[in-house]
Amino acid sequence: MKSATLSWRRHGFGLLLLVPLVAYVFGFTLLPVLQSITYGFTTAAGDFTLENYRVLFANSQFLAAMRNTLLITVIGLTLEMAVGLGLALILTREFKLRGLFRSLMLIPMGVPTIVSGVTLMYVFDSSGYLNELLFRLGLIKLPIDFATGGLRTLMMVVFADMWKVVPVVVLLMLAGLESIPDELYEAAAVDGATGWRAFWRITLPLLKPAITMTVILRGVDTFRIFELPLILAGRVNPVLATFAYTEYNQYHNNNTSGAAATFLMGLIVICVVAYLVLVERERKAKV
Amino acid sequence: MITNSRRLSPWAIPLLIFATLLFVTPVYLMFKVSFSSPAEVLTAHPTFWFKEFTLKHWQQVLASGNLTAPLLKSLSVATMATLLALLICTPGAYVISRMRPAIKYTVVLALFFTRMFPDVGIALPIAVTFIKWNLLDTQFGLVLAHLTKILPFIAWVLVGTFDTIPDDLEKAAWVDGANRIQTLIKVILPLAAPGMAVAAMLVWLDSWNEFTFSLYLTLGKNTLPLQTYYYVVRGNWFQAAAYSGLLTVPVLFVTMLLQRYLRSGYLAGSLKG
Repeated sequence: MKSATLSWRRHGFGLLLLVPLVAYVFGFTLLPVLQSITYGFTTAAGDFTLENYRVLFANSQFLAAMRNTLLITVIGLTLEMAVGLGLALILTREFKLRGLFRSLMLIPMGVPTIVSGVTLMYVFDSSGYLNELLFRLGLIKLPIDFATGGLRTLMMVVFADMWKVVPVVVLLMLAGLESIPDELYEAAAVDGATGWRAFWRITLPLLKPAITMTVILRGVDTFRIFELPLILAGRVNPVLATFAYTEYNQYHNNNTSGAAATFLMGLIVICVVAYLVLVERERKAKV
Repeated sequence: MITNSRRLSPWAIPLLIFATLLFVTPVYLMFKVSFSSPAEVLTAHPTFWFKEFTLKHWQQVLASGNLTAPLLKSLSVATMATLLALLICTPGAYVISRMRPAIKYTVVLALFFTRMFPDVGIALPIAVTFIKWNLLDTQFGLVLAHLTKILPFIAWVLVGTFDTIPDDLEKAAWVDGANRIQTLIKVILPLAAPGMAVAAMLVWLDSWNEFTFSLYLTLGKNTLPLQTYYYVVRGNWFQAAAYSGLLTVPVLFVTMLLQRYLRSGYLAGSLKG
């Protein structure tokens, strides 16, 4: 009896310490999310409606935003993972100045996202530094305007995002690579598996947990990319997040803004769950 | 013995140098623009090296009188948000860290899950509510909003910190007659202080950099990132460059200072700012 009271007290005390955190996450994350979803399914007067979504799917800007978001995510994520893993593979080897390279590579991480937008504006502007470089190398005669829309603008946003986040991917991949014991490679080398074979048979399979985590972390961030398209692509090339912002800020329409945000949330949740299910199924199939 | 598979191929180093150049150059260009005369930037053929070094743009920033208010707002919001985040999260993270592994894993995952929602979806209802509560354009409102981003992350880091402190220490303290609050304050917190300091620096930067919530919740009293964006919209490259530089210096400094901690994987994911 006594010990039961004690344990209740202990749990009670523990729960008390948890209250502020839980209350905050509930009030400032879950509640707003539910409110956003509600905005999306109601009229300005508060009645239930599907009209907002009908309006969105008839809006060419929204459809463009949807296409842009998906393309940026798929292209960006693929390139980021490939480049990040490649650089991490080089940085696991022993060579002179490795520490210096590792440190220099962190520099974009020390640049706020909004600043990386500004900085890359200087690079990608039609009279910017990339055009000047291409001109001096004799590759172009007239400057390229990267912000005119289409795939060119999307690739600009992808490269800007890559500049900022490849260092993060490198760090996460390095952490994964360093957890693979050297003995495995030595044993494989004895059996004649080196180079690419060792990469496909040892590195990639053992790196899978790190890759899964990185793809999810980065995928979520790429879906909701906001600052870079806002600065670099303007309203010519909206993504879902900037579209939702424009609906709120320019047109003062909380309901379509909420609907667009809800659509983006749904997209993220579905993709993350689908990816996890795929990874899990593959893991089970192998066991 | 270095085996075949571990040897560096000959093109690896040139590739690495090329990538590093790509990573470093834009930062150089940003500082360069902020110290360059307009003639060598606003032309069809901008120069890569300094031709005419000038402090004009920085003097303008200081003389315009537009700097102090955003700077103070950013500084005080980031500092208040950090203190409040530590106050709210430390007790919670301690309790989570002492839960049974299965429950702990679920709670941490749930916290992480809340960061999956896009900021534009969370900022919209908060802005609507803040209009009603008269919290738009206030420092306190912004602190509350920034905490949304900060709390799950800092809780996550602190759970990791408390996990490294063995619970034998607490049991020993109880045997000696200390109650739970005394144990937490006198035994656990001093040991957790280094981890808490790292977490504090990271969340301070998170708030210092924060853009989306600030954009939704500000009408006239800009933070430093908003002030930078304001100059971007007005097409003033030099002011934008100078403000960007100002914004970047503390972040770059702390990032380099904390490199050691960034290596431990999971911190990295959150510091993309």
